[in-house]
Amino acid sequence: MTTTAYEIDHLSFKYHDKDVVDIDHYQIIAGETLALVGPNGSGKSTLLNLLSFLSAPAAGEVRFFGESVRPNTQSGFRRRVGYLQQHPYLFNTTVIENIELGLKLRKVNRELRHARAQNIIEQLNLGMLANKRAHELSGGEIQKVALARALVLEPEVLIFDEPFTYLDKSFSGELEKLLVSIHENRTQTIIFSSHDHLRAQVIADRVCCIHHGKLTEELHVNLLHGKYSRALGIFHTGNIDIKISEAPDDVDIVAIEPTQIVLSRTELDSSMRNRFRGEVIALHARNDHIEVTVQTGEVFQVIITRSALDDLAVTIGSPVWVSFKSSAIRILR
Amino acid sequence: MNYFAQSFTDAIQLILKLDYELFFVVWISLKISLLSVMIASVLSVPLGLLIASSKFRGKVILQNILNTLMALPTVVVGLLVFGLLSRQGPLGEWGLLYTQAAIVMGQSILIIPIVLNMVISAANTADPRIRLTSIALGADRFQQNLIFINEVRFAVLAAIVAAFGRAIGEVGVAMMLGGNIEGYTRTMTTAIALETSKGEFEFALALGVLLLLAAFAVNVFLEKFQKLNK
Repeated sequence: MTTTAYEIDHLSFKYHDKDVVDIDHYQIIAGETLALVGPNGSGKSTLLNLLSFLSAPAAGEVRFFGESVRPNTQSGFRRRVGYLQQHPYLFNTTVIENIELGLKLRKVNRELRHARAQNIIEQLNLGMLANKRAHELSGGEIQKVALARALVLEPEVLIFDEPFTYLDKSFSGELEKLLVSIHENRTQTIIFSSHDHLRAQVIADRVCCIHHGKLTEELHVNLLHGKYSRALGIFHTGNIDIKISEAPDDVDIVAIEPTQIVLSRTELDSSMRNRFRGEVIALHARNDHIEVTVQTGEVFQVIITRSALDDLAVTIGSPVWVSFKSSAIRILR
Repeated sequence: MNYFAQSFTDAIQLILKLDYELFFVVWISLKISLLSVMIASVLSVPLGLLIASSKFRGKVILQNILNTLMALPTVVVGLLVFGLLSRQGPLGEWGLLYTQAAIVMGQSILIIPIVLNMVISAANTADPRIRLTSIALGADRFQQNLIFINEVRFAVLAAIVAAFGRAIGEVGVAMMLGGNIEGYTRTMTTAIALETSKGEFEFALALGVLLLLAAFAVNVFLEKFQKLNK
């Protein structure tokens, strides 16, 4: 039987009278790794704060492992969740003292505290840093120590707010592996937010999109903000004009399906109405496919097969054409 | 110039001889000022954190008033507390006038705005992630405050040191409320004023040197503490 870590009902959180989070019903299964994907300002961090019990909802209910969490009881539940901020803060003490702090607050005795901290330090390879003071660490090291500080508490749920955003490439890869290994070796539920849905897909069991505070299981990449002009049948992003045949007037965001974008070296003479000239700015191999990032004025992520890449023979800097049909455009509301 | 040089040499000799009378005055001064600083800190540090973390009407005005009170003339405090403690005053029955307790009271009132103001501004400029991180690590309200004070400890200590400097160097409160009674309420500053007027320049100068040394020692301590914690 599967256990539910979180069960959310009619949850809402308002900021300046505006719904920042508004969820009808959602379940997070215990032990799963869930990625929360959405653009900046979509409500990711607010939702993670609610799930970490750092803030109380305006309305609705959260059940944590079957127990109903009320604003007056949420501090007790808070200790069962490990939360890693986007920009973690380390206290002005040594690394080891930072790692042990949460245990100290829980009145764990000195020997046990030390043993658990040492264990996590070995796991995350932090031995060299243990006696350094927090302000002597680099950005990546701070992130790692903050991760150790959360892991050492062995919480039932681990929540990471945009763990990859401000890290350099090498450490970001390391953290990715670390998250996968935490998931493999432990039974914890992991929830992390990201604006990179492809990376989220690689790491997570399930990816959930958040848009204007609402959750959906559908994936949205290539999110473009703009204004729709019904008379012209054009969605203006400010950088490019996308032809959409039919859409409601108040559309302000669309998503282009990355598998339905065609890449070519020359402009295609086809029925695809949207054709943009651009340049390849990044190439990433993901499992059996390749993610090509193209700058056309707007950045598009395109997923193609390895053989398609070989046929195209593009590298970073190559000029390419991005083409897609109106049917590849998903209108978000 | 000879007079000054001679007095200075005599003053140093008094210090080196560990003159009892001289060091007794120093002891009384330190006792009174440290006590005032302790009282002011115990009241102002938690109150400052509370003010900084709460939102209420008139907060800006309160901070402006506190800023003004930082420059409170010592004689004004002396005058006000004198009015309270004098025989006809509302607290006249306590019989505190011309006691060490009266000076402690006056000095505490004098330095509370300093500690309060410096703690509020330290708390206002502190990293907002301190509180969030401590909450996320499972700290209860009391533990959150302890962690917070620990994070802003340098600023809090600087406030306490500044308050100590103001207390030990002030003369108005000690003179008006202590009455400069020898061996009881005579502090370094009141003794300096008296001895100079009596022509005992070297004694006054010796006290002046010790006063500066006390201030210097406190600053060295603060600097060492900061280095030790970096």
